[in-house]
Amino acid sequence: MTNDTFLRARGLRKSFGQVEVLHGVDLDLAPGTVTALLGENGAGKSTLVRIIAGDHHCDGGEIAIDGTVVDSYSVAQARRRGIRLISQEISDAPTLSVAENVVLGAWPQRGMRVDRSAMRREASEALQALGTELDLDARQDSLRLGERQIVEVARALRGESRLVIFDEPTASLSDAEAKRLYGVIESLTTRGVAVLYITHRLDEVFAIADRVCVLRDGKVALVTDVARTSAAEVVASMVGHSVERTRGAQRSLADAPVVLELTDASAPGFGGVNLAARRGEILGLYGKVGSGVAEVAEALFAIRHLEAGSLALDGTPARLRDPQDAIGHGIGFLPPDRARQAAFVLRSVAENLAAPSWRRLARWRGWITRAVETNAYRRWHDELHVRSTGDATQLLGTLSGGNQQKVLLGRWLEAGSRILVLSEPTRGVDVGAREEIYAVLRELAAQGTTLVVASSDYEDIVAVADTAIVMVRGRVAATIPHHDITVSALTEAAGGAIHV
Amino acid sequence: MSEYTATRSGAPAATAATPTTKRRLRIPDVAALVVFLGLEVLVFSLSSPYFFSWDNFVNIFSALAVTGTVAAGATILLISGQVDLSVGSGVAWVGLVFALTQPTIGTALAVPLAVLAGLGVGLLNGLIVTVVGVNALITTLGTLAIFRGLTISVGEGQSIGVSGFDWALIRPVANVPLPVIVVVVVLVGVGLLLQNTIYGRSIYAIGANPDAARLVGLPTRRNVFVAFLISGLCMAMAGLTSASQLGATSGTTGVGLELAAITAVILGGTSLSGGVGSVGGTVVGLLIVAVLGNGLTLMRIDSSWQQVATGALLILAVSFDRLRARMAER
Repeated sequence: MTNDTFLRARGLRKSFGQVEVLHGVDLDLAPGTVTALLGENGAGKSTLVRIIAGDHHCDGGEIAIDGTVVDSYSVAQARRRGIRLISQEISDAPTLSVAENVVLGAWPQRGMRVDRSAMRREASEALQALGTELDLDARQDSLRLGERQIVEVARALRGESRLVIFDEPTASLSDAEAKRLYGVIESLTTRGVAVLYITHRLDEVFAIADRVCVLRDGKVALVTDVARTSAAEVVASMVGHSVERTRGAQRSLADAPVVLELTDASAPGFGGVNLAARRGEILGLYGKVGSGVAEVAEALFAIRHLEAGSLALDGTPARLRDPQDAIGHGIGFLPPDRARQAAFVLRSVAENLAAPSWRRLARWRGWITRAVETNAYRRWHDELHVRSTGDATQLLGTLSGGNQQKVLLGRWLEAGSRILVLSEPTRGVDVGAREEIYAVLRELAAQGTTLVVASSDYEDIVAVADTAIVMVRGRVAATIPHHDITVSALTEAAGGAIHV
Repeated sequence: MSEYTATRSGAPAATAATPTTKRRLRIPDVAALVVFLGLEVLVFSLSSPYFFSWDNFVNIFSALAVTGTVAAGATILLISGQVDLSVGSGVAWVGLVFALTQPTIGTALAVPLAVLAGLGVGLLNGLIVTVVGVNALITTLGTLAIFRGLTISVGEGQSIGVSGFDWALIRPVANVPLPVIVVVVVLVGVGLLLQNTIYGRSIYAIGANPDAARLVGLPTRRNVFVAFLISGLCMAMAGLTSASQLGATSGTTGVGLELAAITAVILGGTSLSGGVGSVGGTVVGLLIVAVLGNGLTLMRIDSSWQQVATGALLILAVSFDRLRARMAER
């Protein structure tokens, strides 16, 4: 048994301050196998992975590598043992060349000088090993996201690797880019490398993993061969109960007035788009990364300006100057990149929720008190099932991704938006919170709010959309009515099967 | 294959942030600095019989009147993620405009003119940063040099006496001079502005995440522009205070003031990267530096050593905070 295990962890414990986040976790990683690691946010995945990569030291338990128990080790020592962590965030040097980024931190040297020709050769070899060719002299920041990730992988894999850990690598990749990454993983396993793959996406688990390990609340909730389990079992073990994919019932919206309409609209990223949403309708915009759905969503909130065509609100043509203007017209927007575009992680939850409504909440003139913000927060805290300490002064950054998203959704409910544009509303949100967000969206629509859900995740569309518009390369490819919205209909219209 | 097993059940993990966010979320603890201030007071009280007296406390506050006024403006700017290095030059510029015009147009007109001179510096900084889009550090490094040079050139490098403008010497209540009352009012005013107004909330939001601030409909550029205007107004107040306190102004007035102000603000826990901080912290920071200077003077330690002490203190305080944060994480 020891022979077919590269890394064996037993009873790992880890606390941060008073909070124990790992309560004795066991994990075995065998050469040539892909182990998928799943769990909701806060389940302890990141902590576990950081311990394995040497970034954290465990408080209890032991790790054996190749059958030998090793004492706590540093990141550098982990690297020497062949352990590689490819983290979610890209950590490259954007202003340097591709070649320099591949060899970053381990430049080939000739005496004291960097050997530039060896650097180019090594970089080129490393990229070719991943089945990729990139312009070695291009600046890193001229690459697309997927390409930057490949460079990241190439850098991590230099030297002899025995265990490669991927932390949600496909979260921001297009299908083609994700497929290329799966190819890389396959070539790793055929070389006998152990792979630990953190993901939120079930389809990935069944497509590429041999083993699956689910963490819940710092404990192992499920561990088995992928062939011996089902999506339902995995999800149930993640959330602690079984989850049914509920689909909103068909509602009759034909009598409702059209609230939002784009006619022949074009802007950078899309062209000739026609769409209309009625009062209380959830319009789903589905498309892969780069298809234009995110750009249409931005145009509806005046982050992106129309170059041609027109926007009408309540049947009246409207020109929105900027987001402030859009908010003034009763539009709310949940951007796709929560950390960068929406969250004030260093500020309180109450402040985050009240921000767009400050003017209305103010006592007189610009005078605002903590109390009015707290009241606003209380109004939505329970309604949105925000799991927090209940303290309105709690910093937003201390909540999990899904709960942050609920607070940021509450922001627009407090603002009284009658049109809500949501871009990737469930990105980085765990399965349980996802369902709660869907329920809130359906409830909002039932109360008469018009919603536009732009997403590259078909689950979002299937779960909530009354009508789905599918976009491909900046154009509308199909409009699918309620009863025909299925995963296969969506992916087919978007030009391909589910990437497997 | 061995089975993975959970060996112990325990309380579910709280909605735990990952350690990295924890590190980023930690706010320097003002309480620790208050304790440090208390220690300072204790040590100096024991080493000098003159230290612990009302008159000496009034001295300490008088000494920080000018720095405190510009530090109030600097707090707003640093929280919004900006910085103003031109305040020292601005103070000298305001003093010069006042000293040159007061003999001919009289105090009643020279004061508003001096205020306009300070606002002008803030206006220029604000326009370059928010309309042209130049980084604040570069912009105000430029205006620092420009207004210092202008002041020396127009004033011909001479010290210019100011007469008939000694309001700063008036002590209306409890032997407290007017500049102390002014700086307290300014600091309290800015504190209320930051804590209890939409403008203040917006400043925190802009500093914490400028993109998100724009997407919740906050006029980010206008608010930053106003912050530079407030900084200009603070320069004007400080310039007039300085001219009255010293009875003169010269090309070297306010040299290094920008660094003294930023030192106090950072000591008080305001983050250089924006979004975090408070006027309360700035007050503690100001007091730590002023008490140190005062105490060392009473111990007859040369003023150049006070600079060494202040610099060392800044680094020590921030290092201590870092170390404590790292300890807490273990």
